[in-house]
Amino acid sequence: MIKVGLRLSKVACSHCHLEFDESVMIKDETLFFCCKGCQGIYHLLQDEGLDTFYDKLGSERLVPPTEQFENSEHFNAPAFFERYVTQDSEGFSEVSLIIEGIHCSACVWLNEKALHKMDGVVEVFINHTNNKARVVWDNDVVALSQIIDMIRAIGYNAFPYDPNIQEAQAEKERKSYYLRIAVAAFAMMNIMTIAVAQYAGFFTGMDQNIKSILNVAEWVLSTPVLFYSGWVFFRGAYYGMKTKTVNMDILVATGASLTYIYSIYITIFERGEAYFDSVAMIITFVLLGKFLEVLSKKSAADTLDVLSKHIPNEVTLLKDGQQLNVNVNDVVVGDTLLLKSGEKAGIDGEIIKGEGSFDESSLSGESLPVYKVVGDFVVSGTTSIDAVVTYRATKDFAHSTLTNLLTMLERSLSKKPKIEQMANRLSEYFSTVILLLAFVTFVVWWLWPHSFETAFMVGISVIVIACPCALALATPVATMVGLGQGAKSGILFKEAAHLETLAQIDTLVLDKTGTITEGRPQVQEVKWFSEKATRKSDIEKLLALLNASKHPVALGVREYLEREEHTLAVLDEIQQIPAKGMVARCDGALLVGGNLALMHDYGLDVNVESGHTLFVFAIDKKVIARFELLDQPKPEAKSVIASIKASGIRVVMLTGDHEGVAARVAQEVGIEHYSAHLTPKEKVDAISTMQANGEKVVMAGDGVNDILALAQAEIGIAMGGGSDIAIDVSDVVLLNDSLIALESAFKIARTTFRLVKQNLAISLLYNAVTIPLAMAGYIIPLIAAISMSVSSLLVVGNSMRIKLMWKKG
Amino acid sequence: MNDSIIILMLGVSIFLGALALFGIMWAIKTGQFDDKEKFLNQVQFDGTEELNDAAEQQAKKAELKKRKEDYRPE
Repeated sequence: MIKVGLRLSKVACSHCHLEFDESVMIKDETLFFCCKGCQGIYHLLQDEGLDTFYDKLGSERLVPPTEQFENSEHFNAPAFFERYVTQDSEGFSEVSLIIEGIHCSACVWLNEKALHKMDGVVEVFINHTNNKARVVWDNDVVALSQIIDMIRAIGYNAFPYDPNIQEAQAEKERKSYYLRIAVAAFAMMNIMTIAVAQYAGFFTGMDQNIKSILNVAEWVLSTPVLFYSGWVFFRGAYYGMKTKTVNMDILVATGASLTYIYSIYITIFERGEAYFDSVAMIITFVLLGKFLEVLSKKSAADTLDVLSKHIPNEVTLLKDGQQLNVNVNDVVVGDTLLLKSGEKAGIDGEIIKGEGSFDESSLSGESLPVYKVVGDFVVSGTTSIDAVVTYRATKDFAHSTLTNLLTMLERSLSKKPKIEQMANRLSEYFSTVILLLAFVTFVVWWLWPHSFETAFMVGISVIVIACPCALALATPVATMVGLGQGAKSGILFKEAAHLETLAQIDTLVLDKTGTITEGRPQVQEVKWFSEKATRKSDIEKLLALLNASKHPVALGVREYLEREEHTLAVLDEIQQIPAKGMVARCDGALLVGGNLALMHDYGLDVNVESGHTLFVFAIDKKVIARFELLDQPKPEAKSVIASIKASGIRVVMLTGDHEGVAARVAQEVGIEHYSAHLTPKEKVDAISTMQANGEKVVMAGDGVNDILALAQAEIGIAMGGGSDIAIDVSDVVLLNDSLIALESAFKIARTTFRLVKQNLAISLLYNAVTIPLAMAGYIIPLIAAISMSVSSLLVVGNSMRIKLMWKKG
Repeated sequence: MNDSIIILMLGVSIFLGALALFGIMWAIKTGQFDDKEKFLNQVQFDGTEELNDAAEQQAKKAELKKRKEDYRPE
């Protein structure tokens, strides 16, 4: 039951199965634990009789639990209940949670089992695929905070999400499509089998009574297809008529139901040929096209879940000499708050004690940390790198920068401009024309003079032969192939329609930091002042010193030095000097590494004029090396931008960084139009102005400072290394950070768009040939069936060519 | 071939096919394909222990429901 793997002196933790040196483990009789958390959970599971968890876990490894001090009481607050908890008809409460830390089916089992054992918990369902859980409980017996505590006690964490938004809707819609397609596919397959017999009979002769039997069988089978599977078209047609637009749904609904009625008439009065197979085929094919579009739609719902995760829920309030964890909503202006290093500020405020570096890149896009002292302002959404500061809230949560940003974001997402889709426009004209033609045909034939019956049949045959199967498949099939091709190249289009939109774009707006540039300072130039003989030991000392810091400059120098293998020297008395650098001792020698200000503090006069960031390293007050660092454009940036420009797209750079830096980068990569020193709001305004001038804008960016702009643009493209919010807000995600992927996205979109146009041309050409034939009364069922299939196959086959075309460029 | 034989064959085959169709529709409706991970690892959750667990859970729910119904505020 307990698996303790022994490998030399390494021992596996009895709970999480991670291996550590025996000396650092907690020994508990015959068991070993890597931390108190694992030990606690192990004994808890033993006590609760849940130890079969370890059998199910097998040799899988877990992440050791992190200590959680967060108070779960706020889960019982009325405000929380109002937002997240629903009451079912039986009086039980229900909440939707996202469980963190689940990574295998044993984890799902453990969570469900542990909660089942609690008194008052009625139902627990955890979806392993997305880690979302639905918990139903009796609030009179057990409190939600106790349930949350249980989840935390067994080493997981849970936070709530609101399931009522689009996700549930999208899921419901998808399920309804599955059902409708299952019915349509089943009935169509059977009808087609019967139709083969009918077509054979058409040529070789068939008794009328056999014909009638087959017709009745087809009638039975096509009825659920028309009224159940085809229900979406009737609904669409109804809304179309209500808003006075002729859409594809009207054509499909009238075409299919008229054919259906006509075929019933034929069946009952036993004359001519019935067209039940056409009814089933039209509905099934067009439904399939619609379904492909629904499938490719990403539910926008997850966006809001991720957004709420980004806002710090709690802040540390200092009151009467005590530290209290309070909800951000409870903070009022004037409260004194404590921000520890590594924490994200949730409230805007003014520093009253302490100083240190802040990472503001998420808001301003500036790549270097900002040093803040007493009197400076802390902005919500920025992270403290090394500072422990006390600050006074100058705004409450609802008016803080981060909240404002998110509110603006929600607003702009709902107002996102969309380029109208070509196929939709086309199908509107198409449907109107076909319905008119059918009516004219009917009238002309009737007046010619033919019997009402013949005229009606010819009129209907126009609608049937104009079967919009090929037209309906033209766009979805091509875009699905395009999406697949994109996914293979690491480009995720969240919606198929974005491909078509991207192909029609004429302006590309790029963010600087992280999009055009690498997003972190890199060593440009190194100057060594020490002897070559001692170089190796100098580097070892410097590396050890750099290891103590997480400052981007230190990381840049370290990355440069680690291109070769080095061992590390052992240091004493390591000291971080905020915003300046590090100091330490090694074998009695004083190591100093940092910027010029630090050198000055230690009496070293390093006089260098440089527009770049400098890092100087000195041992015992003797300068050993000087590094010049720069946030470099990505190597491929210049060529990619040149090729995008060559394809007729205007490229613009918008950045929050300083004018000088922006000018240098713009010149280096060949961008003529740029604006610097922009706030997130100003970036949006810049894009809105472009849109007002009739430009169709695509924005590529990666930071939180870009999210508003990403949402405002017709298409937002997030770089893979970007923040979660940026990825969520955007329409296209590049999985790798390379700008080459950006170029590929354009290429794929254009190729796909070309194919869509070709497909539409094929289906229109098909109609141009067959409709006159139908109007002249020449269409027999066999030709109708064959031509419908051939046109659909042509469209599908043409779409498959995207792979070849894209390779050729 | 006799007409009634054809009717019978068509009828029986469509009926049997329809049964299978209803089976699939029922499975989709009750969410049996919703969680693909759980669906694939179903064998791990299909022991007697899990069945007992599910039964206990139902009994617990019924009991809580009864308690709620019996409850009368004084």
